[in-house]
Amino acid sequence: MFEFKLPDVGEGMHEAEILRWLIAPGDRVKVDQPMLEIQTDKAVVEIPAPVAGIVADIPAPVGQIAHVGDVLVRFDTETARPASSVTKPEAASAVANAPVATVTSSENGLTTPKPGAVRAAPAVRKRAVELDIDLNQVRPSSPDGRILLTDLEAFVAARTSSGTKDTGSNGATKSNGYASTGNKSNTNSTHSLADHGEVGALIESVSPAPTPASIITNSNGTTGSSMGGEERKALAGLRRRIAERMELSWRTIPHAASFTEVDATELVALRSKLQASLEKSGLKMTYLPLVVKAVVQVLKQHPIFNASLDDQTREIIYKSYYHIGLATATPDGLLVPVVREADKRSLLDLANEVNRLGDGGRKRTLKPNELSGSTFTISNVGSFGGSYGVAVINPPEAAILAVGKASEQAVVRDGQVVIRNMLPLSLSFDHRLIDGAQAGAFLNSLKELLVNPSLLLLEAI
Amino acid sequence: MVVGDVTTAVNTIILGGGPGGYVATIRAAQLGQVITLVNAGPLGGTCLNSGCIPLKALGAASRRFRQLSDESNAQMGLHTGPVSLDWDQLQSWKKSVVERLSGGVAKLLAGRKIDIVSGPGWFMNGKEMRVEGEYGSHRFTFDNCIIASGGVAVALPELPFGEGVLTASQALALTTLPAEVNIIGQDYIALELASLLQSFGSNVTLLSPGEQLLPQVDPAALRLVQAGLRKRGVQVVTGAHSFRLDGEGQLSYQAGPNARHQKGLVVVSNGVQPNTANLNLKAAGLDNLTVNARQQTNLAHILAVGDCTGQTPLATTAIKQAKIAAATLAGQKVAYGPQALPMVVFTTPELAYVGLSAQAAREAGYEIVTGRFPLAANGRALTLGEENGVALSVAEAGSGLLLGLTLVGPGAGELIMEAALAIEMGATLTDLTEILHPHPGLAEITLESLEQSLGQAIHVL
Repeated sequence: MFEFKLPDVGEGMHEAEILRWLIAPGDRVKVDQPMLEIQTDKAVVEIPAPVAGIVADIPAPVGQIAHVGDVLVRFDTETARPASSVTKPEAASAVANAPVATVTSSENGLTTPKPGAVRAAPAVRKRAVELDIDLNQVRPSSPDGRILLTDLEAFVAARTSSGTKDTGSNGATKSNGYASTGNKSNTNSTHSLADHGEVGALIESVSPAPTPASIITNSNGTTGSSMGGEERKALAGLRRRIAERMELSWRTIPHAASFTEVDATELVALRSKLQASLEKSGLKMTYLPLVVKAVVQVLKQHPIFNASLDDQTREIIYKSYYHIGLATATPDGLLVPVVREADKRSLLDLANEVNRLGDGGRKRTLKPNELSGSTFTISNVGSFGGSYGVAVINPPEAAILAVGKASEQAVVRDGQVVIRNMLPLSLSFDHRLIDGAQAGAFLNSLKELLVNPSLLLLEAI
Repeated sequence: MVVGDVTTAVNTIILGGGPGGYVATIRAAQLGQVITLVNAGPLGGTCLNSGCIPLKALGAASRRFRQLSDESNAQMGLHTGPVSLDWDQLQSWKKSVVERLSGGVAKLLAGRKIDIVSGPGWFMNGKEMRVEGEYGSHRFTFDNCIIASGGVAVALPELPFGEGVLTASQALALTTLPAEVNIIGQDYIALELASLLQSFGSNVTLLSPGEQLLPQVDPAALRLVQAGLRKRGVQVVTGAHSFRLDGEGQLSYQAGPNARHQKGLVVVSNGVQPNTANLNLKAAGLDNLTVNARQQTNLAHILAVGDCTGQTPLATTAIKQAKIAAATLAGQKVAYGPQALPMVVFTTPELAYVGLSAQAAREAGYEIVTGRFPLAANGRALTLGEENGVALSVAEAGSGLLLGLTLVGPGAGELIMEAALAIEMGATLTDLTEILHPHPGLAEITLESLEQSLGQAIHVL
């Protein structure tokens, strides 16, 4: 029996939607025969059959969101029996009243160990087992990444000197069964391998697949108990993608920024009013849809902010469509879901879409077309308490608006100090396309709308 | 209560005297344990008595037999008279090899003063075992137990073992050389059996249920092995299914669109299932013998090793697991975690592989560099009159970490250990190519394959 699990097909993918099965249970398949189409947040991927055999069952139906490591299909490879013969060998040989163990083995059921997952000599790995140490946490001293016995000893020394500092949280946070208690007198060894439940974890720590997930579970390195207080992790998955995009942006776009502060007192009032009236429908009205609404109107007045520079032809592309990207923090990193045709949407519609995209972004359920194609991006840094900052432009766009957190401030109105709700705005723009004066004009237009949000409603809803 | 039933309290029972059981016994004794070995049948188990050793003995004889009349002899100016085969004498020579080894095991156990109880044992509960011995029934209470009961051949549902349908073991003990043999299987046993019977003069048809013989093996290496089988006269049919044996001993099956018929003896090598049917595992509180990396079942005091665990059914792994189990019993912290499993197939040419094939490495997510060196370009091979073979290496791109090696040619099964050691040590292409290899020597094909992947092989263009 061969189980095919959803592999990490790349770039921070954690899950994928089962789009189409090209095989069915009972089918005889050849190696590399296309068997499945899955959709990740980036693309549709066709997956070929990893083995030859007969499809035993398909636990992942079309439409299911499968996670990396989920079993998608099982193949009967061990006997490659014709589909017609369903009698299992154990049933044939079962002696009455005698227990029969499950048949999992055969020549083709060989479990090939995976080499190279941890680069250490067998003696070092053996010693690590004795010491209850996950070698993934040990920093190799040699430049080729091989862990030596001396590295292991140094790790133990460091752990012992850090004392029982981290024993308190061990049980809960260490998921790999090789957690270090740092307490050798612990006779009630809860981390011993005696516990059958930890076996899978043990095997994994002997030869773990280098997936982002497995790196994340090694939480120990960041607690400072690892040697020298530093740890190296591969730049992988979504993080790598973000890094590439940021590098591209910062390398190619001369960033300039302009800041302003908007009196959002009426905006706050309007939002509260809308929220109250929408309460019954269960819809959540945040500031963001209002800001999107305002931004779209301002983009129409200042088309260069909705444009992009074609690096190849050196042409400026002005766009008459308004797809607004919303920078969203997810547990894995930054994603930018896109509100398409924001100019054609009512405020209610916008609110719905903003909520849906925010939710989908955090759950990583959005489709590739919902994560690309924006013409202007808004980063709601206020959602985590931010005020001002230079946001990095989402290429190939011309500008990005960072909206800070509205807060009550003492401001001067008509010679009096009064309390107003002030909203910080930061605009980063591509200085190749946009001058400072234009940026100022853009912010002023936006300010006007946000200070008097009733103007928004003239065109809204 | 059986008459004469006495209960004996013992420390540790090891159930089974095959490579798993006797190795566990000796290692446990070395570690200070008091062992009672319960064994039905001759010492040495399947491997020694009816499996690997007979297979290898007959295989070696068949090669020698064939070489005596090989046309290459004449090229070297060697002329032999007519060569003949005395099958009875061959079988008794084989038997003498087996007896010598089995006797050797008995001496080793006697030298360590191991109590051996002959007869099948089964569980009465988690602490007691009954053994139906030669001189009546014995009852033992034990503190710990290592089960090493081995495996049994899995039948094809449509071709139960019996008259006209033999297991591979039975085929090795035939009293006459069959004229026509149909071997159903795609594992190393099927290939070796086909190779040796054909070499002795049988007319062999190898019927592979799968599309590929030895599905884990690199196709380029497999082609050479398959060509070797064909050259010997073995007919290879892949994708064969729907087997049926009629009353007159005629085998019919389906291959592709054609229904075919064939006379002759039928041998089925369809893998192995745990030999647990008569152990009464339920009474001990066990459903099966799935084990953790310390070789413990879900009862910590009952361990299991080898084929009965349902893992890779090879003596190679059983022997290692036996040592792990013995160490676990001795209170050591150990884990079964080899990174490389060397596999050998004694066909002509011989095949051996370890680690990942190129395809498996890619599927595991590695970016790889591959190397290839033909045996015909190796000086030592030509002096042996052998030029049919290849070395295929797989390493991780960048780091050069060796991931796998496949060898075809004389001595492949011994030469493969260089790569097994390298993988276990986490060695790189540079590590290996820095090592002196005897010249002229067959090991140079490994060296040059690795150098070829670095673009630096000397003896190929």
